Amino acid sequence: MSAERDFSTRPRRRAARPFDLALLAAGAAALLLSAHATANAWNARQRARARLEETRRETLAAQSRVRELEARRDPAQAIAYQALLTTEAPPPRVLANLVALMPGDVRLDSVSLSYGEPLGLRVDVVARNASSYDLFLDRLQRSPLFADVLPGEENRDGELRTSIQMTYRAP
Amino acid sequence: MRRPRPRLFVALDAGSVSGGAGAGSGAGFRLVSHARVPLGAGALAPSPFAPNVVRPGEVAEALRELAQRLDVGPAPACLLIPDGIARLALLDVPADVTAHQYARFRIVPGLPYPPEEAVIDVLPLGPGRAVVAAVRRSVIEGYEAVAAQAGIGQDRLDLTPLAALSGLLREPGDGGGLTVDVILGDAAFCLAAHQDGVLRVLRNRRRDPGPDEPRRLAEEVQRTSVLAGDGAGPHVRVVGAGAAELLASWRAAGGTAEPGWRSEGAGAGVEASELAWLGGATA
Repeated sequence: MSAERDFSTRPRRRAARPFDLALLAAGAAALLLSAHATANAWNARQRARARLEETRRETLAAQSRVRELEARRDPAQAIAYQALLTTEAPPPRVLANLVALMPGDVRLDSVSLSYGEPLGLRVDVVARNASSYDLFLDRLQRSPLFADVLPGEENRDGELRTSIQMTYRAP
Repeated sequence: MRRPRPRLFVALDAGSVSGGAGAGSGAGFRLVSHARVPLGAGALAPSPFAPNVVRPGEVAEALRELAQRLDVGPAPACLLIPDGIARLALLDVPADVTAHQYARFRIVPGLPYPPEEAVIDVLPLGPGRAVVAAVRRSVIEGYEAVAAQAGIGQDRLDLTPLAALSGLLREPGDGGGLTVDVILGDAAFCLAAHQDGVLRVLRNRRRDPGPDEPRRLAEEVQRTSVLAGDGAGPHVRVVGAGAAELLASWRAAGGTAEPGWRSEGAGAGVEASELAWLGGATA
């Protein structure tokens, strides 16, 4: 990092030193290796895609079944329950309770609240490293406010990205 | 003792372009030269997303006039772009990552433009703490283009509020209580609360000029003080556009505040506290 801030879109340049050239050579070697690894990963990705598609079809079928079951419930009762839950657990409070458990290295990408019986949450989270994510999960599982914590599949391509489903218990 | 070499600064804001050469000197700033050229309303509109230089010809002409008055010559200047265009945040940075990298993780995903367009730099505050700023690349390019159009060489480019904050934090004042620094720009302002050299809170707001603004700014200072954990009468300092007027208004209302810095000697005919960018002069 330079001693002075510089937001220029074309910052001042300095001449390349032998160390820079050595780094460039190492980078070129790394590029070749990564190309080989990419080819292997591509084949693995195709296989994973096929499995994912199969899982997606199964999930859609399950969701359709859940909607069918929910529709059988008395609508008036459902609305009354939702109103009660919204009063006891307004979204800002739920979100504040959730954020209070998050380490600094974890951020939320999206949050979905499903006001029903019980109040369901689905959060998409990004963690800078696995240990922060594990800490967040541990705090969620120990918290009296959250239950049925169900972590989703993790994508560890750089940052750790995943989704977590849970339920909220109003204090 | 050898005096620090004066450095050339050119600052752009909604109401004017200004600049000069300045250097830190003892308890104050030594202004070697200074000039200010007003801009027509709407010629430059600080915004985080939209092009800021609305009428490039007019802004370039004002910069050319400024360069003539300052007798800039071929010396490259540090361009200072105004408050109101950057996302600023005070971060606790984990030990295993640089402030730049952490800002990419923490700040960039929340920006309302594509991540690759964010230009990031930081004001380090010691181990594990930094103020990070993200500015949209196209916004910066507008300022660079108009400076080039005016024939002004660019040494580097900084944000006026960060330049001011770095200067204020280098002179944190008498030890003890909380200090709240108010850094005024034409379009936005920053509030920084610090104690014993530790920055506790940094807030950034758009300005809403009007007769009621001094009262609202006093309330913002109070909020900042409470957020920093001390609501009991902080020490308040002000720099930037309209600092003298704001200080006079607060004093008339019974408040206490002082300029963030003062000119040494005559100060080239301008009160140093009006020039937020002077904070960069001692970097």
